[in-house]
Amino acid sequence: MLFLSVLHLFLCLSSWAWGVYSLDTQEQIVRNFFEKNGSPVGETGSTHTNNWAVLVCSSRYWFNYRHMANALGMYRTVKRLGIPDSNIILMLADDASCNSRNKFPGSVYANPGRHLDLSGDNIEVDYRGYEVTVENFIRVLTGRMDPSVPRSKRLLSDERSNIFVYMTGHGGNEFLKFQDNEEISAFDIADAFEQMYQKKRYNEIFFMIDTCQANTMYSKLYSPNILATGSSNLGENSYSHANDNDIGVAVIDAFTHYVLEFMEKINKTSQVSMQELLSSVDVTKINSHPGVRTDLFRRSLDKTRITDFFGGVAQVEIVPPLDVADMNTPDEAIPESTNKGKGDNESQEHLQLHSDVPSGSTPQEPSTLAKALNWMGEKEWKNARAWASVTLIGFLASWAASKH
Amino acid sequence: MASKSTRTTFSNFQASFLALTAVRLWISLTDLSITLKHDHQLSSPLTSFSQLQEGIYLFKHDIDPYSGGSFRHSPILLSFFATILPNSRKLASVLWTLIDAAGAWSLVQIWRSRQNVISSPWDILIASLYLLNPYIFLPSLALSTSSFENTLMLLSIMLASQGRASASLLALSLLLHLSLSSIVMLLPILLLLINDPHSHLASPKPMANSLRKMVPLFGEFTVYTGILTILSTIVAGSWAWIPQTWGATLTLPDLTPNTGLWWYFFTEMFDHFRPFFLMVFSVHLLIYVVPTCIKFQHDPLYATFIMLGILGTFKPYTTLSDPGLFLSMIAIFPETYPYLRHPIVTALLHLHSALLMPLFHHLWLTQGTGNANFFYATTLVFACSNGAALVDSIWAGLRIAIGPPVDNYTVVQE
Amino acid sequence: MDSSGNLIPRWRRVLLRLRESVLTSGDVNEKRIRRRKRLVDIITRRLTLVKTALFISGYLWFLLIPSPHLGRGTYIDENALQPGQVNTDWNWGDVHVADNYLARLEQIRDGNFTSEQRAQWLSEEFGKLGIASSTQRYSFSTSTAVCTEDSVSSTFSRVDPTFQHLNGSNAYAVLASPRHSGTEAMVISASWVSRIGEEDGTLNMRGVSTILALAGFLKRYSYWGKDIIFVVSDGYLEGMQAWLGAYHGVSQSGLSREPLKLTSGVIWTALNIDYPGHSFSHLGVFFEGLNGRMPNQDLINSFDRIARYTAGVPVTLYEHLDPREEPAANKSPSWLPQALYNISEVKSYLYQAKNVVRHMKYQANGRGSGVHGLFHQFRIDAITLFALPATGPHGFHAIGRTIESTLRTMNNLLERLHASFFFYIMTGPQRFLKIGFYLPSAILISMGMMFHGLSAWVDAGWVQENIDYEASEPKKPTTYSQKQTWKRRRRPVISVLCIMIATHLLGIILFSLVSSTLFMENYKVLSPIVFTAFASVPLLALQISPISNPDIAPIFLVLKVLNLCFASTVISIITLLNFSLAASLTVLVGMPLVFSSPSVSLHWRLMKFAGCVNLGLGWLLFCQGEMVQAVWNWEVLTVWFAPFICIVYLPLLLQASVTCLLPP
Repeated sequence: MLFLSVLHLFLCLSSWAWGVYSLDTQEQIVRNFFEKNGSPVGETGSTHTNNWAVLVCSSRYWFNYRHMANALGMYRTVKRLGIPDSNIILMLADDASCNSRNKFPGSVYANPGRHLDLSGDNIEVDYRGYEVTVENFIRVLTGRMDPSVPRSKRLLSDERSNIFVYMTGHGGNEFLKFQDNEEISAFDIADAFEQMYQKKRYNEIFFMIDTCQANTMYSKLYSPNILATGSSNLGENSYSHANDNDIGVAVIDAFTHYVLEFMEKINKTSQVSMQELLSSVDVTKINSHPGVRTDLFRRSLDKTRITDFFGGVAQVEIVPPLDVADMNTPDEAIPESTNKGKGDNESQEHLQLHSDVPSGSTPQEPSTLAKALNWMGEKEWKNARAWASVTLIGFLASWAASKH
Repeated sequence: MASKSTRTTFSNFQASFLALTAVRLWISLTDLSITLKHDHQLSSPLTSFSQLQEGIYLFKHDIDPYSGGSFRHSPILLSFFATILPNSRKLASVLWTLIDAAGAWSLVQIWRSRQNVISSPWDILIASLYLLNPYIFLPSLALSTSSFENTLMLLSIMLASQGRASASLLALSLLLHLSLSSIVMLLPILLLLINDPHSHLASPKPMANSLRKMVPLFGEFTVYTGILTILSTIVAGSWAWIPQTWGATLTLPDLTPNTGLWWYFFTEMFDHFRPFFLMVFSVHLLIYVVPTCIKFQHDPLYATFIMLGILGTFKPYTTLSDPGLFLSMIAIFPETYPYLRHPIVTALLHLHSALLMPLFHHLWLTQGTGNANFFYATTLVFACSNGAALVDSIWAGLRIAIGPPVDNYTVVQE
Repeated sequence: MDSSGNLIPRWRRVLLRLRESVLTSGDVNEKRIRRRKRLVDIITRRLTLVKTALFISGYLWFLLIPSPHLGRGTYIDENALQPGQVNTDWNWGDVHVADNYLARLEQIRDGNFTSEQRAQWLSEEFGKLGIASSTQRYSFSTSTAVCTEDSVSSTFSRVDPTFQHLNGSNAYAVLASPRHSGTEAMVISASWVSRIGEEDGTLNMRGVSTILALAGFLKRYSYWGKDIIFVVSDGYLEGMQAWLGAYHGVSQSGLSREPLKLTSGVIWTALNIDYPGHSFSHLGVFFEGLNGRMPNQDLINSFDRIARYTAGVPVTLYEHLDPREEPAANKSPSWLPQALYNISEVKSYLYQAKNVVRHMKYQANGRGSGVHGLFHQFRIDAITLFALPATGPHGFHAIGRTIESTLRTMNNLLERLHASFFFYIMTGPQRFLKIGFYLPSAILISMGMMFHGLSAWVDAGWVQENIDYEASEPKKPTTYSQKQTWKRRRRPVISVLCIMIATHLLGIILFSLVSSTLFMENYKVLSPIVFTAFASVPLLALQISPISNPDIAPIFLVLKVLNLCFASTVISIITLLNFSLAASLTVLVGMPLVFSSPSVSLHWRLMKFAGCVNLGLGWLLFCQGEMVQAVWNWEVLTVWFAPFICIVYLPLLLQASVTCLLPP
């Protein structure tokens, strides 16, 4: 009896120990799986399984050609390094390629020699023209979308996503203008990132901004795992890099130009670190002081590879098919869903009302007849009303006048 | 002999008055009104003739004129212009001139009842000060219905001075239908009705008559207003005219520039402060009524005059004819002239603003070298000059009681 | 101003001391009254000083305007413009095309084509280039015959001498924007007669050839965001006036014209090309518009940058060469010693003064400085490029490149030019004065006049008792402590207002007289008669007997007050509309009005009167050419200068002359 109970205890203990051991090994397997594509230095490598890019050009008008070229240059680079169109949200506030002032219709070039047409083939602009608003940008980041928004316009990232956020436009101290109409502040971006963090929408973010006084834009970030860089300090302008004398306007900004120039040397398998990219930008060439903010970022920059953000992860993870609605409903605030419900009810009511009308169409006919009759007399009736009023006022006036 | 001379002055007055009216008529029949009718300084969205014509057109074509946002005239005007009053520009010019002539005649009558004379040699001067006042003349050329408002106002004052209560109150309630802001004139007119219009500025004393006399008059006014409201509703076919006409005065939906102080302020206003400041601006007009009436209880005609000045300066949707009425009315209070404080400064301020306002309007909208701030700045100058005239008049109206200045003594008014 | 500003603190100190010693007790009102009286006392005691300081500083400021230390360099304010950032494609082949057009135009000139035939030819040439084109005939009937006498353009614009009809035909073409809706347009124009042709009949042949060649050239490109309208207007100014009036649907009395068959969108900017010589050395920019309007400075600055950096052509203001850069212009004026001239400051000052004076001349008479000025009536910013005739080195090549690049810049505009200045004075092609640096000059003087008027108003209101009022020369009101020897008196405002209104009515009569056909046909004979008639009207004032009532102020004093106050108001208000006119008024009217006062001796009175009347009416005798020109400007171009002179300026001086004549 005693033996049995001892055996029992032993079995329990051993199964617990095995359980613990097997749990460890399973975690190890998972970790190994995720780190397969990470850096060889194990614990400092990235742990993401997918890459996303949000590229925003917030200014419109022909003379801001360079901002569109900036965003399109980034688009080309991230696409070349393997992020598919489905994972790129491109927001372009204006269409320089189709501007009537463009000497090369349908093309956008980022260099004076016009070697490379950025607008040439396979451009997928997700938000364009007046769709590029602060609200839409924040909705894209936080994922609070109307159910009708198609997948291609959503940032469907998860807690294993590395996201590259690039913004360009006209800005100032802690703000970036959207289309000469509204502004996004550094606080808005910081809060949006925090919301993304809380909703587990990212693993790491690389935030890059090219605008005047750009470094102020990342100064308010407070969520973890964000690496940020900007083109210029507080009080500094970001300058354009070069004009094309046939297009007649500046075609790219200096900071973006040198970043892109560096990126041209990178391919999908390159092991170049972020440190090298960020230190490659020469202050004397761009006439402003680019800044980097690393305090929120866990890894050291020289261990972080450029392709962690710019490249697409090659491995494919098979997961059960995601239901978009499922994924979004928890994100959506409750009032929104109730609203939706209400709207549905209303529309149903409307439907019912409408369906009532045809059924009662027979009794309607006399009413139209009456209406027609009414209309015949309406003109005279109206005149009669006007005359009656005039007469009454006249009567009133003459009475009042004759009273004394 | 005396009677003969009286008759000659009387007929002289009539002849000159007719001559003045004829001159006015001749000018109004030129093409000036075509160039002037869209001028922001002469007609506001609530008084513009072209908008009135649009409303009549809609009315005649079976469209409710109050369903859109363009027609903001009273249904009473609508009914008159849709029936008996002329719609063509030439005939309208004649009508407007006649309306102004009626206003001038009323002003002369007010002057006569204040002086308690049948006629005086100054009559024609007073009539010409009204008929030739550019602030009144130009809006009338532009066919702004503010000319109707002025004439109704003067008629109401005249009838009140003559003690014809019903007619006066009817005129006032008609005016109320044309312009809601005129409600501030009710109390001074009621006071005028229970008092005499003669000048008591030099000998102020508390009002002898009991305020209770005003109650039936107020009731009568309410009845008239009620009847007119019902008539308006009959004409318009629904209550929709109320938010479009009276409501516009309170909510300022149309921010077309005018000579007043409201439009620019509410252009710049953040939407969430709008209701609050609309309330402040509207109440601001009302707070002057009681103090003015108490201070000038011995001379309600003067109180009426002061209220006209306040209305011309601060009401929404002003045109030049609103301050114009106030300025022309100064003519009937000659006893205050020696006591005006800085008449030359006020006059120069008015001269400046009268020249600056059209100039900056031109710089902004025609030449394109200026902007809205230019014009707003001149409306501020204009408000200052009106304010100066107002303060001068109040000062003089109170100062006169203390008697002519004595050397080495200075009068202080608190 | 300065002196009073310094005095206030001292006065405060004095008051504080007084308050401590005298007014330790006493009620607030008393203190306030004493304080106010003291302030008034201080101001009135130093009023003469203040007035003099205002006048002197105002006039000195005028002299400072051309100073090289005032003002700043020009810069471009509108981001969208992006001037000079394009390669130009205009090449020697296009120059050859222009040369060919020139040769054919010369044939047309020598073939004595009528203006209609010529316009027809131009329209056909535009048509051959594949651009929609048309012609427009017009005819002005005016009372003046200024163009019949002065312009040799009559070869082409037929002028009927009996009726003073001014006929002509414009040719124009509209190049529709290939990829834009055509809601906006820009204009390149050339008048048939050059600006120097106003005197000697020089034709703007090369300007017209440039337009034709440019039309063919610009059509080859697809990047136009706005329609381009090419206008070859007949005559010098009148053709463009007719064309612009028709384009904007404005009717004008005395003008009959065909409606335009082709129209386009809103015109925002326009370039007018004036290239009369064989070659040119500089491109001069003319910018003053009608009635004193100025174009947005961005347009001038963009053109300046483009001409200098894209085409390599130096830019000048008007045709004034900068002596610091051009040795040819580096000559000292005869009245200045060479040594003084060689000081660089003096040289710069003289150069800039020349520019400022020229600008004031163009702006003050409201006519503007050329064809571009007509565009300004319709809120279109426009300038004229004037190719300064010289033996070299530039020609079609340089001007074509400049215009091409400037058009690209204008094409970049997204809204009307608004960012840069509308109120400025150009002291050089790359230097200007902001409004704050020149406006105070006129305002200070107008303030001085106002102060003078107000002090005279106070004088008019008081008389010293027991003393004959004849001695009532400007005197100061008493301080509160003095004995009350002062007595109020009535000011005859109404009668003075009647005098003023009468002078203005007189001005209206004079204007309708002067602008009548009868007068203009015989102005040489009639001018002296009209002068005498109008000059003798104020002499009626001699009939007025002096008022012996000491309770009424003398009329002259009140008239002077109102005259000064009105003049001051007019000047300060006109500063914003037309600064040059206001500045001229301060010079012409300022001092005469201040010093107008009756004197005891009749001779002296008449002398003053003659001075005032001559200032006011002298143009009838001494500036007849200008007079005819001004009336022509009024009738054809609706320039307000002539009515202003007759209805505002002249009455002011007539009032002053009456002041001089009235009994003291």
